[in-house]
Amino acid sequence: MEELRVHPGIQALRYTVLILLAAIFLIPVLFIAFTALKSKSDLLTSPFYALPQKFQWGNFAEAWNQGKMSMYMSNTAFICLVKVPLGIMIEALAAFALTRLNFKWSNSMFAFFLVGMMIPIQATLVPLNIFLNKTHLVNTYPGIFLVYVGFGIPFGILILRGFFRTIPKEIDESALIDGCGDMGKFYRIVLPLAMPAIATLVIFDFMATWNEFLLAQIFITKDSMRTITTGLLSFKGEHATDYTLMNAGVLISIIPTLVVYLLFQKYFVSGLAGSVKG
Amino acid sequence: MTTRTLKPWLFLMPALVIYLTVIFVPSIYTFFLSFFRWNGVTPDKEFVGLGNYTDLIMNDTVFARALRNNLLWTIGSLTLIMGFGLILALMLNKKLKGRIVFRGIFYFPYVLSGIIVATGWTWIYNPTQGFVNKALELLGLESWKHAWLAEPKTALYAVFVAALWQGIGQPMVLFLAGLQTIPQDPYEAAYIDGAKPHQSFWYITLPLLRETFVIVIATTLIASMKVYDIIYGMTGGGPAESTQVLSSWMYNQTFKFANIGTGSAISFFLVMISMIVIIPYVYYTTKKSHV
Repeated sequence: MEELRVHPGIQALRYTVLILLAAIFLIPVLFIAFTALKSKSDLLTSPFYALPQKFQWGNFAEAWNQGKMSMYMSNTAFICLVKVPLGIMIEALAAFALTRLNFKWSNSMFAFFLVGMMIPIQATLVPLNIFLNKTHLVNTYPGIFLVYVGFGIPFGILILRGFFRTIPKEIDESALIDGCGDMGKFYRIVLPLAMPAIATLVIFDFMATWNEFLLAQIFITKDSMRTITTGLLSFKGEHATDYTLMNAGVLISIIPTLVVYLLFQKYFVSGLAGSVKG
Repeated sequence: MTTRTLKPWLFLMPALVIYLTVIFVPSIYTFFLSFFRWNGVTPDKEFVGLGNYTDLIMNDTVFARALRNNLLWTIGSLTLIMGFGLILALMLNKKLKGRIVFRGIFYFPYVLSGIIVATGWTWIYNPTQGFVNKALELLGLESWKHAWLAEPKTALYAVFVAALWQGIGQPMVLFLAGLQTIPQDPYEAAYIDGAKPHQSFWYITLPLLRETFVIVIATTLIASMKVYDIIYGMTGGGPAESTQVLSSWMYNQTFKFANIGTGSAISFFLVMISMIVIIPYVYYTTKKSHV
C-alpha cells in the first residue's frame, strides 16, 4: 500500500521514530562489542559508553583459541553441513511419495507426520536418552544426526509437500514417456523444479540447527563435541568474571549468523512469509 | 501391482523410520512413564496412576509458578511483541529510504540463538558494570538500579525485555508480508468517500490482515509455551525459582532431580497445551487451502 499523500512533517517524524528505535535495537550489540574490545583495566576505569582506548583484538584470539570457541564453532558447522542436506534429502523423498506416486495413504500419512509438530521436544527426551544409551549412540555423531534429523522431519515435509504439489502433473507424464523411472523423476524433475523451496528450507534448517540448544544440552555432553550454544554456556561458566573475554565470545558467535543473514536476507524474509502461506 | 503399491513406502521409509524412532514412539513412552514414580536408574518403576499429575496441580508450588509465568509470557508476547511488530510493519510499509536497512536491524536479533541473546543480555544487566545500571547512574537515577536478574521481582520481566528485543522482528516481517498483499483500491475508495486514516486502518487494514493475525497469534502462542533457551541462559529458572516456566521445570524435575515421572507429566501438559493451539490452527488453515 502506498500512501496517497504524505505530509513532509509526518515523513520526518517517521524517520525520527525509526532511527530512534533502530538505535535502541543496536545499543545492546554495540555495548557488547565495546566491552569485547576493551582491556580489563580499560573496562574498569573508562565510562561504559566510551570507545576502547586501544582496540584489544587479542581478546578475540583468546576466546577463539583458549576459550575453545573455534572448536565449538567447527563442531556446529560440521553438524550443520551433514544434517541439513541429509535431512532435506529424506524429507524430499517422503514429500515425493506423498505427492507424486498415487499413494493411497497420502493424506493420512501426511497428517501422521504433522502430529509431530504438536509434540514438544521435551516430551521425547527421556525415552530418547534411554534409547541412545542402550544403543551406545550418546555423544556420537550418528546419534546426534538421528535426533537432529528426526525433529526436522515434520516441518520439512510440510514445506516440501506444499511446494511439490504446485509442480504440474503433466510434467510427470512427459517424463514417463521419455522413459524416466520414479527415481529419475525425483532427481531430474521434481528436485530441480523445487529449488526455490529447497533453498529456503536450507537457510531455515541451517539456522535452526546452528541455534539448537535443548537437544545439544541433553545429548552432547562431551566438551570436545559441544556446539556453539552449549559451548558458549560452558565458556560463560568458565570465564564468568572475565567480562571482556566473555563478550568477545558472544561477538564471535554472533558473526557467522550475521554473515549468513546478510548474504541470504532475501530468503529469510520471503521464505518466512511463503512458508506460512503455504 | 505389488511393486507399485510398495514403491511409495520405499520413498517414505527413511523419514518414517526416523520419525517413529525419534518423535512418535518416545512421546508415547513418555506418556506411559508419566503414570509411574521412577528415578531413571532402578529397574522397577512404581505405578502411581494419575499421582504425578495430581501432585503437580495440588502440591507443586513451583509448577503453579511456572504455569503463571508461561501465562504472563504469553500475554506479554501477544500484546507487546505482536503490537510492536505490527507498529513497525505499518511504519515500514511506506515509501522510505533505507527501508531494508531498518527491516534488517529489527529482524536480525530473531535469527540469533536464544543462548547468545541470553549471554549478551546477562552482561547488559550486570549489576555493577552492565549497561542498564550504568545508564541509570548516568541519568542520575541511582535509586532505580536493581540486580535485575538476581531479584525475584524483576528477573522475569528483565528476561522478557531481552526476549522482546529478540522477538519483535518475526511478527514485523509477517505483518509486512501481509500488508503487501493488500491492494491499493480500497484505500483510494475510502479516501474519496472521505475516510480518515484511522478509519482506513480500522476498517480496511485490520480486517484484511486477518490471515496474518491467525498465523502470528498461533506462532506466538506456541513459542510462548515452549520458551526455554533464553530463560535457561539468563536465570536458569532462578532466583528462588521465580522465573521457572514449564519447559525449564520439566528439565529440572527430569534431569536434575531425577523425578522422571513428574518430568514426563509436565511434558504432557506441554503436549496438551500445544494441541489446544495447533489443532484449531491446522483445521483453520487446511479448510482455507481446500477452498
